[in-house]
Amino acid sequence: MTDGDHSVPDSRPRRDRIRIPEEVGVIVALLVMVAIIGLSRPRFLNPVNLFSLLSNSTFLGMLAVGMVFLLAIREIDLSVGWIFNFSAVFSAVLMVAGVDPWLAASAGVIFGAGLGLVNGVIAVGLRLPAIIVTLGTYSMFQGLSLVMNQGRAIVPSDTSSSFFTFFKLRLFGVVPVAGIVFVALAVALHLLLHRTRFGYRVQAVGSNPEAARLAGIPTGLLRLQTLVLMGAICGLSGAMYVGFRGAIDPIEGSDFVLVVVAAVIIGGTPLSGGYGTIIGAVVGMLIIQVISSGLIFFGIDATWSTFVTGAVIVLAVALDQFIKYQRTRRINRIASGR
Amino acid sequence: MANTPLIEVRHLTKHYGGVVAMADMNLVVQPGTIHAVVGENGAGKSTLMKVLAGAVRPDGGEILLDGRPITVEGPSVARVHGIGIVYQELSLFPERSVLANLFVNREPTRHGLISLTAMEEQSHALLDQLGLHVDLRAPLARLSIGEQQLVELCRVLIERPRLLILDEPNSALNRAETERLFRVLDALRAQGITILYVSHRLEEVFSISDSITITRNGRDVLTARTSNLSIAEVIEGMIGQQREALFPPPLPVKEGVAERGLSVSNLSGGRLRNISFSARSGEIVGIAGLEGSGVSDLLSLLFGNTRAAHGMAAFPDGGDLPRSPTEAARRGICLVPADRRKNGLMLEKSILFNISNVAVGARNDGPLTFLHGKALERAQRQIESLRIKAASALLPVNALSGGNQQKVVIGKWLEIGPDVFLLDDPTRGVDVGAKREIYGLIRRMSANGGIVLFSSTELPELIGLSDRVLIIYQGRLVGEVQGDGLDSRNVLHLVNTGEWPDDVPAKEAVQ
Repeated sequence: MTDGDHSVPDSRPRRDRIRIPEEVGVIVALLVMVAIIGLSRPRFLNPVNLFSLLSNSTFLGMLAVGMVFLLAIREIDLSVGWIFNFSAVFSAVLMVAGVDPWLAASAGVIFGAGLGLVNGVIAVGLRLPAIIVTLGTYSMFQGLSLVMNQGRAIVPSDTSSSFFTFFKLRLFGVVPVAGIVFVALAVALHLLLHRTRFGYRVQAVGSNPEAARLAGIPTGLLRLQTLVLMGAICGLSGAMYVGFRGAIDPIEGSDFVLVVVAAVIIGGTPLSGGYGTIIGAVVGMLIIQVISSGLIFFGIDATWSTFVTGAVIVLAVALDQFIKYQRTRRINRIASGR
Repeated sequence: MANTPLIEVRHLTKHYGGVVAMADMNLVVQPGTIHAVVGENGAGKSTLMKVLAGAVRPDGGEILLDGRPITVEGPSVARVHGIGIVYQELSLFPERSVLANLFVNREPTRHGLISLTAMEEQSHALLDQLGLHVDLRAPLARLSIGEQQLVELCRVLIERPRLLILDEPNSALNRAETERLFRVLDALRAQGITILYVSHRLEEVFSISDSITITRNGRDVLTARTSNLSIAEVIEGMIGQQREALFPPPLPVKEGVAERGLSVSNLSGGRLRNISFSARSGEIVGIAGLEGSGVSDLLSLLFGNTRAAHGMAAFPDGGDLPRSPTEAARRGICLVPADRRKNGLMLEKSILFNISNVAVGARNDGPLTFLHGKALERAQRQIESLRIKAASALLPVNALSGGNQQKVVIGKWLEIGPDVFLLDDPTRGVDVGAKREIYGLIRRMSANGGIVLFSSTELPELIGLSDRVLIIYQGRLVGEVQGDGLDSRNVLHLVNTGEWPDDVPAKEAVQ
């Protein structure tokens, strides 16, 4: 295959010769950041440290990969942090009450899905955007969680179950099991978004809700399903967190939602809906972790990490906007040339 | 032709990458005339208008205004030269008031504050002339599309242009609104304003224009006074060698296809009151009515998009009205909506993605997986069968012309082989060549045993294609014309008045 010569007049619009995956940009950005920090602070590249980045990304990262579905369907769920917290508290309370931790954790996942169902039923039933509904349920879930934990950390006393060692386990001493679960979930959701009917429909609805409805796509059901999926993922993350930490604080999860959405957006999922990238969200979450951890390696006060994360978001969306602008220009050139 | 032309275009060229939009475009427009420019999509007429309006820079050639060469570097320069343009797509703000829309970016002020009163004063006469009697402080979105189009026109006229360019201004207008627009254009011509008029509706071009320039493949092929041309000659000029009738003849119904029927009784809902009719497979039933008469409501009800207040229907599968579009899609009832960009397509998504809309999106009988290969197969099948002009199935539908976009909408439904076709103005904003192809597709739907109901804002289309035409007037079914009675006079009369012409025998009218 020869490289196309641009000066040759050709009546056909040019085709992308090789389709470059959208995620290459963020992956390169992540590698560059790791390389820069690693070059000046070689200790950063220690496998134990690199895998701890994955470990630190796990619980928020799981929420982020779920959030991709919501952005893809042109919605957003603000209540994820408190679904996470409430489900964790629920599981932990069951464990304290003597329920088998594995069973209690499973119940936590279902409980999370139930909270997602609450969001979904309200949003679809009242035809409200999820952002408005979850603005309300954000406080409702927080409040109910507080009622349940009475403002104190819930610490299951009997930690003899394998549940409490499993998620803390590091294979070969470095690879965290919780991180593996996160990656496995991401792979599963990637396939769900890009290789299944459900994923196709989610993107169709997000791309043009009215056209989707008039094509016979059950838009209401899909919004409901997406919110339930999000709830279940929050529940899973929350239940795993109890196994990982051995306790759940009353405020854990309060600041999750912004970081989660930030990771998804850094990863390249647009707010305008119709498209989402799970790989991007995972990389986005890793970028956020690398920033905060890299700052520590450079001896900069960790409080700067919030600012830097914010700056990275602005940079990421600016880049994204620039790429989109180039793309529409190309399309317009093809379109108006007819 | 002794006078200096108001505007003259010589040897304009424009390339987009490897695509030639204008090869050698020439145009001479005499002052004080209405000059129509016709041509299929891709003929270069829209590019020409964009060049004149300063929206696009040409690669070569020159533009002369009053005999002096000018360069139009941008829209503001065009405005300085007295060139105003009304684009096909509305560029208005639906949430803002009519007045705010009229004076975007040049709001009159009093004491440093924007003055609505001043706006009203300045636009009053013009609005009167346009016959636009609406609440000027109400949000624009409350107006009908036709009224919005007039607002757009008014916005341009406020600047008092010498040359007014109208790029398919009436693609969304109904008959009455079009007539009103034409009266306005007549008046403007009388005031000495020169008008360049781009349209697909040849009948209207003939009724309004003084001269016609026919474009094809980026060149002007013929310019003549309208009185010296016939519609057949113009169509021939536009499409070149292809000499086929605009309306393909009915195809024989495929053998072995059982006849099926659709009947509706006492249907009410939306604007509709007690509509009863039936349709069979193998026939094409046209539905005529002014905008707002309830034609769209009828199709919407039959598709399950809106709920009926009461009434019943019997579809070929024995069921009643679908309760949702999803149910409709699963029962083989399809709707091609009037506004394809808003309601029919996912513009940034590929042809491949859009073609799978119904087969994967609505139907539950397929596999749970969505495989790229299968979707590509589907898309390529439709691209071939409907002759969609696209280099690749992976192109976003945004990059297609209007006609090809509409074919994508039709293609996504054909993928599931529907029994009932509800087509809401399927040729709106589509060029003549694509129109003819869409007519052929409608014939094919019918011949394959489909029940076809189609509405249109274009009368010749309804008459040329339909076996019967149902006419809806103010929500009621006021008549049905077929056979010898199916002519434009009867249909027009019914559409506009709700009554048969006086000389039609009563027995026919009773039907």
